[in-house]
Amino acid sequence: MSNFARVIAAYEREPGPLRILSASGQLGYGVLAKAFQAGLERRPHLIGADMGSVDPGPYYLGAGRMATSRRVSKSDLRQLLMGAVGNGIPLVIGTAGTGGGDPHLAAVVEIVREIAREENMSFRLATIGAEIPKDVVKTAARAGKVRSIGPIPALTDEEVDGASRIVGQMGTEAFIRAIDQDVDVIIAGRACDTAIYTCLPARLGLPMAPAMQMAKIIECASLCCEPGGRDSMLGTLEGESFVLESMNPNRRATPLSVAAHGLYEQADPLSVIEPEGVLHLGDSKFEAVDERRCRVSGARWVPAKQFTVKIEGATRVGARAICVAGSVDPVFIAKADEIIPAVEAIVRELVPPDPAKPYQLFFRFYGLGVVGGQPVTTLPEEIGIIVECIGSDEDEARAVVASCKQYLLHHGFPGRISTAGNTAFPFTPPELTAGDAYRFSVYHIMDVDALEPLFPVSVETVGG
Amino acid sequence: MKIRDAARVIRSKNAGPTQVSLDLMFDDPKLYERALKAPSLRPDVLAQRFGVPEAEVIPYPAAIAIKIVLPRRIIAGTPGDTDVYGAQQHRPLLDIEI
Repeated sequence: MSNFARVIAAYEREPGPLRILSASGQLGYGVLAKAFQAGLERRPHLIGADMGSVDPGPYYLGAGRMATSRRVSKSDLRQLLMGAVGNGIPLVIGTAGTGGGDPHLAAVVEIVREIAREENMSFRLATIGAEIPKDVVKTAARAGKVRSIGPIPALTDEEVDGASRIVGQMGTEAFIRAIDQDVDVIIAGRACDTAIYTCLPARLGLPMAPAMQMAKIIECASLCCEPGGRDSMLGTLEGESFVLESMNPNRRATPLSVAAHGLYEQADPLSVIEPEGVLHLGDSKFEAVDERRCRVSGARWVPAKQFTVKIEGATRVGARAICVAGSVDPVFIAKADEIIPAVEAIVRELVPPDPAKPYQLFFRFYGLGVVGGQPVTTLPEEIGIIVECIGSDEDEARAVVASCKQYLLHHGFPGRISTAGNTAFPFTPPELTAGDAYRFSVYHIMDVDALEPLFPVSVETVGG
Repeated sequence: MKIRDAARVIRSKNAGPTQVSLDLMFDDPKLYERALKAPSLRPDVLAQRFGVPEAEVIPYPAAIAIKIVLPRRIIAGTPGDTDVYGAQQHRPLLDIEI
């Protein structure tokens, strides 16, 4: 009998509070062992962890790479697999490998197989794909069933074809199908963070509103606490309400800290749109159970009349090279506005851009208003410089920043006093290639009639 | 009074790659009310201050907080972006008078 099947059978025999442990909000950056072990001692019915996001930018989705290191990802996965499988607890991991596309999922599954061999473990693993075929997206876009989220252009066939890959965020439904394959571990491609934690309560027929609200909070582990942190977080569903408790005794889930967490990375703190419905949070109640536990209730769940899936895609825009430098010369700093265009003009002459696909060149003089915000009124004593080129290939990008480096160093200008060089380089070579550059080309909502065909489940026995 | 003296937390972060969300969190409900009524925190005034076409201001009494949602000027991570996570977009708020 699989761990999911056993937990479900036991719960159906003897219903009661359902304990769900969020091991980590960002698997691959280190799971804090003490709090995770404390969580295991609470005998959770499910362990979950989220492993990805669009937050780190378009590169990872586009390039099919993980943002986290393989080394830390593997030690985190080992800790979770040993804690879950070893103790008969079902494990769910969402948005595998940062991007949640096929290469990300494959990379994580490969690590998981490696761990199983090394630890002599055996378990049934379900994986859920999240890459959406381009034809499906194009058909939906042509039928007017795809809408932009925020200021991103409407989706065209050209933009869809240009994307390296497109993923869709699966919801609870996909995970329930995986649970019903009699498995121990689920590793999903791009998924709603919430679905990692709602799938078991939903499968057990428990009320969706508290389950979804709890999922929304615990998916960030102990971030909802005072002080916030990355330690594992326990959520206990009790009928129409739930109780939150950090597995680090120094982190307190207070009514205010939990309520405030509703603001985090959300455009709308009062409603959360999921593929299968909308969670309304306007009437939420937050009550202290004691100093470090908080009870939450009052959310409403309205099932969707029309299923929707958030789709994400990234398109390669070229190859990136950068050059890093600094300057403490007051004349150079004061005349930066004149020096930058002069150097740029020389470089464009030396490395002529292809008129059909001109490279992009960015001079970032940190200290002089790069990040934005307030205009710089007093010149700083020291500035940091990054010159960045996006060229059609690495060779072009490197050639451009190498020329920039040389001409920034030696550019002559009226009033110059530091005539042997304008800039300091912290290392050699000062130009670095940074691989392919991407942009988000797809960040849209797509209406779909059926979720199931988009998120296929496959099952394998790992180890044994 | 400046916002930075009224609010305990003033922060920004992407809400997806196309929007940035700014949160003002207060300890004192009176200062929260004062900020909510301040003309300097009207959506049109904020949009102008940040140089974007529109802004949304959402009161969140459960946490004595105000959320401001702005469209990002450049989609996160697109070449030319300077703040992929949007975590340093709060600066123009700090000196706003309420």
